[in-house]
This record gives sequence, C-alpha cells and structure tokens, in this order.
Amino acid sequence: MKPLITFGIVSSALILLAAALGQNVSYRPDPDWRAPDEAAARPNPLAHKSQAVAGGKKLFLRNCAECHNKDGSGIVRKHAADLQLAVVQTQSDGTLFWKITNGNPDRGMPSFSKLPELERWQVVLYLRTLKPPESHAEKNSESCLMDDCKGRGASEGENQPLHFIVKSTKKPWITSEDGLSWPTRK
Amino acid sequence: MKLLQWTAILSLSPLLTALPCSAQESPYFVTYDHHMEEPGNLEIEISSTTDVPRSGQRYYFAPWVELEYGVTARWTTELYLEGQSTWNDSTIFTGWRLENRFRPLKREHWINPVLYLEYENLNEADRIQKELEGLAPDVSSPNSVLRAIQDRELETKLILSSDVHDWNMAGNFIVTKNFSQSEGVEFGYSFGASRPLATTASGSNCHFCRENFSAGIEVYGGLGSTLGFGFGGTAQYAAPVFAWLISDNSTLRFSPGVGLNNESSPVLFRFGYSYEIQGFGSKLSRIFRGKQ
Repeated sequence: MKPLITFGIVSSALILLAAALGQNVSYRPDPDWRAPDEAAARPNPLAHKSQAVAGGKKLFLRNCAECHNKDGSGIVRKHAADLQLAVVQTQSDGTLFWKITNGNPDRGMPSFSKLPELERWQVVLYLRTLKPPESHAEKNSESCLMDDCKGRGASEGENQPLHFIVKSTKKPWITSEDGLSWPTRK
Repeated sequence: MKLLQWTAILSLSPLLTALPCSAQESPYFVTYDHHMEEPGNLEIEISSTTDVPRSGQRYYFAPWVELEYGVTARWTTELYLEGQSTWNDSTIFTGWRLENRFRPLKREHWINPVLYLEYENLNEADRIQKELEGLAPDVSSPNSVLRAIQDRELETKLILSSDVHDWNMAGNFIVTKNFSQSEGVEFGYSFGASRPLATTASGSNCHFCRENFSAGIEVYGGLGSTLGFGFGGTAQYAAPVFAWLISDNSTLRFSPGVGLNNESSPVLFRFGYSYEIQGFGSKLSRIFRGKQ
C-alpha cells in the first residue's frame, strides 16, 4: 500500500509542476512568426465556396474557441490573439493557413496539421467572417489609446494605436447568400 | 477491488466535468505520430487489450487508464495505470509508466521527429502490449509467478511522422533497457498509416458523418535485443485501426490485430475511449495562484 501512496504523491506533484510550467504567463507578439512568401501567396481553394464557411465555424468552435473565444476576440488570460483585429484580417489566406498549420509552439499556439488540409482552409474561410461589434470596437479603441494597447493580445502590431486598427476595419464587407460576411481584402 | 474502484472513478470523472473541446485523435494504439496534446488539455483514456489465445493459453483482459497532458505545445506527458485479468486465474494491478514526448522542431516539415522518454515500473504479468520490444511476452505462466518478476525499464523512442495529402504516416523505433533483469538492450518498431474518411467538415453537428471517422493500419513487433537481434522469438502484428469522433470531446477507437508469426496471439483486440478536458492546466494553476 505504501508504494501506491508514494506513487500517488509523486505523480500528483509531477502533474502540478507540469501544469504550472505549461502556462504562457505573458503573451508578446512574435516578430519571427512569419509565413514564407510562397506559403503566404497560396490562395484559398475554397474561396468561392461560401457553403464551406459553416463547416469552418464548426471546426473553429471545436479547435480554436478554447483560446480565441467563440467570437474570435481572444481570451486575455490565455494571451490569445484577437482574430477580429485588422492586423489579423489583413493577413493573406495563405499566411493564416500557414499559421494554423505550423502553430507557434513557443508562444502556446499548437500546430493544427492534424486537421486535413481542406478543413484548415475552411477555418481560414470562417476567420474572414469574424468582425468586432461596433460598440466593442469603440470601447477597445478608447481603452487602447489610454494604455497603449498592452495586454490586448493581438498577434502582431500589439503596440499600434488601436484607432488605426479599428479604422482599417472600416472597409466594404462581402455578404454571402447564407448571411455570413467578411471584409474585402483591400 | 481497489483497481476496479479506481477505474470506475476515473471512467466517470469526465462526466462530471463535461466541457467541449477538440478530441481529433489519431486512430493508432501503438504507433505515435508527431501531433501533440494541446497545451493545458488533459485527455483521459480508458483502453484495453484482449486476445484470442492459442491452445494451452488462457483468455486475458488487460485494461489501462491513460492520463495525457499537454504541458506545452512541444511537450506532452502521460501517466499509465495498468491491470490485467486472466480467465480462471486472477485480476491484478500490473504497474505504471510515465512517458514524455518532446518535439524538437518548431515548424512542420516533411518528416517531423519527436523524442520519447518513458520510465516503466511494471511486472511481467503486464499484457497491455502498448508497444512490443525484445522477445514475445509470456502469456502462459500464471499471474502469481509473473507478478513477482519486476520490470523497471527506461524506454526511448524515435518517432518520425509525416502528413502527406491528408495521410499520416509514422514510424517508431524503440530502444529499451530493463534495469531489473539482464536482457541486454531491447529493440522494437511500429509503423502506421491513417487517413480521415472525409477531408472537409459539414456545417451540421452530425455524429455519423464521414468526417468523424478515420481509419488506417499499423504494423508492430519486437526486434530482439543486443543478446540476439532479429525477428526470432518476437511477436509481430498487423492491425487495422479505426477511430470515431463521437462528440467534440470524446473518441472511440478499435483495432483487431492479427498475429503474423507463432509467437504472436492469433488475434489481438484493442478498444479505447478517450475524453478530453479543455483548459485543465489553467484551471489547476488558478487554484494554486489565486485570483489575478
């Protein structure tokens, strides 16, 4: 019985230690997390299949919402990027696909290469539908101007004044037949 | 009885903490690929190995509980608790093992290496056959004899894995040193290939869509030891593998393995059910850190 108790204590301590070490305590944008030009230039093969967005949403909720929130706004305590921001939305489809595929393990973003390639493209398609509510954007803009945007958790350009970011989201939106919409590229 | 109680508690615990999250598991039982557990997630898996015995041997049922935790995106740790029940013999706890997998490269490559290190504290009655190395396991002697023989082993694996056109292909090369017995250094291998049955997700929350199923095959066996390298006296299996993503957080797996030589059991059945708890690590750390 004694070895079992010792084993229980040792294994519990190891799990607690592992849990403590596993936390990404201070998220900072990673300037080295850049897709190669060739990957960034890849077009989304599902770009014209708006019906694939629904599947992308399901995959997003299953795989990404845990950290990025159901609306993509990013959970602050998880230091996850706000996917609604223009700094994310202005990235090419190929870049987003590359980032989903490779992850950024040192910053806590796992690789999702276990998903089939087309499913990852479906997620990219769904990411294009994420947009901040107007009130949310204005609120963030004010607070961000005051505290220099620190702790917002955007993946890149974290220290940019957010009024620039919000302003750049004011561009025409495409709305598909099923009511989903996303911003135009340029 | 204690083992059964613990197994029952661990089986029911996921129901008490039903949180949705991803559980897109590989269908393999023996082969490891390069996909790690998501950081902070805890996966609880209940699996079993059972066989169709040769004449003179007895049926056995070898269940195990597996706790898999994603420490970081590049480091996954697992704890196994193992048992075994033999027809007309006894039911016993056969030991535990603690394994760690490290992914040295940050990005996806054509071939993705993963380093594996495991400590095992088992006895010879262990029959889950999670991996095969060295000679074939003894499935004829009674439990009372086998459980007295301790195996404290250090096991390493080189895992090489690749995703090509939605196929996963993986190869594992095993090197094991048993510190309790003079068996030399033992070797083993496993290879696997698998693919999801559909590569796009439908918009509906269906249980029986093709996208929720994956299938493949794995081949595994021992390669002898430094005392005698080769296939002589080793067990070899070929096993189709199937996985069904029952819900967002649980997966059912099944594999009927076929023995390829006289040292192997004719048929080896494996079943597994896994349940993933999202954000387990952050919840745990918040308890110990207090409010921030």
